[in-house]
Amino acid sequence: MILSVEDVTRRFGGVHAVDGASFAVEEGSLTSLIGPNGAGKSTLFNVVSGFLRADGGRVVFQGRPVQRLPPHRIARAGLVRTFQTARALTRMTVRDNLLLGTPRHPGERLDRLIARPGRARRRELEAREHAEGLLQLVRLDRHAGELAGTLSGGQRKLLEFARALMTEPRLVLLDEPMAGVNPTVRGELLEHILHLRDELGLTVLLVEHDLELVMRASDRVIVMSDGRVISSGTPDEVRADPAVVDAYLGQRP
Amino acid sequence: MSTIASADFWAFVGVVAGIYTILALGIQLEFGFAGLLNFGHVAFMAIGAYTMAILVVKSGLSMWLAAPLAILVSAAAGALLGLLTLRLRADYFAIVTIAFSEIVRYVATNEDRLTGGSQGTINLSGIGEAAQYNDSWEQFRTWLQGSLHINSKDVAMLVVVWAVALLLLAAVAAAIRTPWGRVLKAIREDEDAAAALGKNVFAYKLQALAIGSALGGIAGLFYAWQFSFFSPNDFAPLLTFFAWMIVILGGLGRTWSVPVGAAVFGLIFAGSRFFDFAPFSYFDSAERAYVRLMLIGLVIVALVLFRPQGILGKRDEMVFE
Repeated sequence: MILSVEDVTRRFGGVHAVDGASFAVEEGSLTSLIGPNGAGKSTLFNVVSGFLRADGGRVVFQGRPVQRLPPHRIARAGLVRTFQTARALTRMTVRDNLLLGTPRHPGERLDRLIARPGRARRRELEAREHAEGLLQLVRLDRHAGELAGTLSGGQRKLLEFARALMTEPRLVLLDEPMAGVNPTVRGELLEHILHLRDELGLTVLLVEHDLELVMRASDRVIVMSDGRVISSGTPDEVRADPAVVDAYLGQRP
Repeated sequence: MSTIASADFWAFVGVVAGIYTILALGIQLEFGFAGLLNFGHVAFMAIGAYTMAILVVKSGLSMWLAAPLAILVSAAAGALLGLLTLRLRADYFAIVTIAFSEIVRYVATNEDRLTGGSQGTINLSGIGEAAQYNDSWEQFRTWLQGSLHINSKDVAMLVVVWAVALLLLAAVAAAIRTPWGRVLKAIREDEDAAAALGKNVFAYKLQALAIGSALGGIAGLFYAWQFSFFSPNDFAPLLTFFAWMIVILGGLGRTWSVPVGAAVFGLIFAGSRFFDFAPFSYFDSAERAYVRLMLIGLVIVALVLFRPQGILGKRDEMVFE
């Protein structure tokens, strides 16, 4: 298990946004986290990525408890997230957005920049090449030199996805990566995610509202309701679970 | 010769613009690139100037050793302030910095045994002693005047201040173009996004604040050398806001906009004393000193309305706030 969430709670005032949630994510899998609005998915994402402190419980990533680490340490450990509303750095170019993801860049440290400028330059060149490839992957290569603020909402989601990949993560948390992305690109994005899983062994944890897509693509599905995990398993198992039908699908007319 | 045509007068204006350029460059680095709202920048100018003067007068240190030490102390003071306050939200941070600069000024006013008190550096070695920290600098400037065949003190100073200012501008411009500068800009845009990509936001802000404070300290050194005397009231909060005006006039997020802003600011500030036509002639000279502040205020209002990116800024970057 690359990630296990153990009995995590998080309160806001008197509200238990996450109320003893536990689940595990298998290495190399595409796992989806679903649940009705207010189920606690986003809060849980924020806890796992270090942006919110858990009130209780543990988050273990690659065998190491990370629930007390700040977000940047968790990201460096290889657990990288995207945001529900894409956080494109709008006054920077699309290319610079991607280059920011470069892990262990010596050019980002003043001391190394001064001591070994050549090494920083070489790393930057490698990073540019890598960024170019990722931009082609999400079809933003034509926009590389433009300010990220000129991109549409869907394009920003793609940019953020590519930027997360730039960090060479072991596990990516994607918060509604498909929202606002046009249907053709949506299919392609899914293809890319599956490809990365199969070729690079990347693990993906996804929050997504498009249930049809979730059921079709996921290896495993975790269902949350009222801050708890009420079901988990293969898409077929989850679909057949009466608790899920009650809590979630049953709500639909 | 009338003042308006005097080379000495304009050299003096140029020296002040150069000192302001170095001071405002600190604000540009901290806010224009890293997004830090520092309203107490003048404190580091005071710390730089006082550290140098105290080390020379009280510790008998060579000015050439005291000056780099003063820059280090300014940077350390910035880092210390940052360690204590950078975790605050941007607006609270701004309030704390302005309080910090007032604390520095009040300490300088009241700790008279350390600083000479409200009478300024003249009392550094005790009342009635007429302390002087500037001998080495005067020697250096006289030597420079001799070797460059310059008659005017102010022109010699102009050369030194702008040589240093250009060097610092080039250094900041180069640093901003590196991946390090890219991280600073990312933090300005969105701290959470930067943290999510593994950047230690706090460490970068601390570096920006320390370097910005060092620049403030350097401005303080030149201020001390130029006027060969200073007192706590020279470092009132207004000076911080002059630096802010310069950065806004020139354009945010651009290194080379800082000297442009400083030049425009200096021109309005110094040039307005020659406005002896209506409506300026309705005021006496003391009143006109305040009228020029209003004039700069008007220029900034007009700029924000019609050219919010500043003189050198790029408009399309303003669209994506």
